[in-house]
Amino acid sequence: MACPYLEYRTAAGTQSFDHERAYCTAAETFVQPMRADICNDRYDLDHGQHCEIFRAHAEDE
Amino acid sequence: MTGGYEAYLDADPVIITAALTGGVHGKEANPNLPETPEEIGHAAGKVEAAGASVVHLHARTPNGERSFETECFQEIDDAVRRHTDDIIIQHSTGGTGAPDDVRHQPLRTDPPPEMASLDMGPLNRYDHLTSENTRALVDSLHAEMVARGIKPELEVFNDGHLNELRGLLDRRDLAEPVYATLIFGPGTLTPPTPGNFLNAIDNLPEGALFNTLGFGRHQLPFATMGLLFGGHVRVGLEDNVYYQRGELAESNARLVERVVRLADELGRPVASTAEARDILGLEEL
Repeated sequence: MACPYLEYRTAAGTQSFDHERAYCTAAETFVQPMRADICNDRYDLDHGQHCEIFRAHAEDE
Repeated sequence: MTGGYEAYLDADPVIITAALTGGVHGKEANPNLPETPEEIGHAAGKVEAAGASVVHLHARTPNGERSFETECFQEIDDAVRRHTDDIIIQHSTGGTGAPDDVRHQPLRTDPPPEMASLDMGPLNRYDHLTSENTRALVDSLHAEMVARGIKPELEVFNDGHLNELRGLLDRRDLAEPVYATLIFGPGTLTPPTPGNFLNAIDNLPEGALFNTLGFGRHQLPFATMGLLFGGHVRVGLEDNVYYQRGELAESNARLVERVVRLADELGRPVASTAEARDILGLEEL
């Protein structure tokens, strides 16, 4: 299951793109493609285990 | 190690590799970074015209995310060949978090790439993730490269990986010349100092050639050191999205053009693709 903070957007702030890209609503930024695989729990990746942004926000809530 | 300052004095040709895209950041870091096959092909044509003889390639999906699928690499290779005359194609087999079988897929295009990267060991990513690159994976990737006639580019992210490189040479027969990329930067990488650069080249196996890669602001000074000490050089937006402090690079070609100017000023002729194939022994694979 994908990270609850993940959204796909074409624009945010001053940045805009032709395709929707991975956006982290916790960090309020478009994320690196490598990190997007963590957000989406692809391959052997798990946002709950591997993403420090998710872990920090999960602890705060 | 083959080369060194003598190779500089002898004006040996320098192979320039352009790492066009990478597998970490994307257009969110620099909108000029090519992601689609057509963008990558176009960029390959420009860097070849600027003097690069090798393109190091990663594959992306249309929204810029990573892909390891053979079909994606095939589409990129086809675009690169449409836009270039004779450039050497080098696929990445890197892939933090990707299963081992997926890491083999970039080797299976038709024709196979002439070269492919082979990461020599583990490196940390972010705070909770490590790209493991086990010896078993290194060996299995190398075996498939041999079977497909692909030259491995041995990526040495830190000095411990120099031990791993020697271990690989002990375990397996590698075609000569051994070609290693020495990587300098933050995190798990070798700290980017001139002393560490000299130490790394001194610790390469006898006869090995080296390519020089500095991340971020270290790209230009380490390219210069590579030129001065008889090495080869890698530049590109995969490793550095800036042209200078605070100014995003307009293109991969701009980064290649700059290192070509440096090579010219320093008296290292830039290798043609034919010369690069000869230096790397690609025709003999």
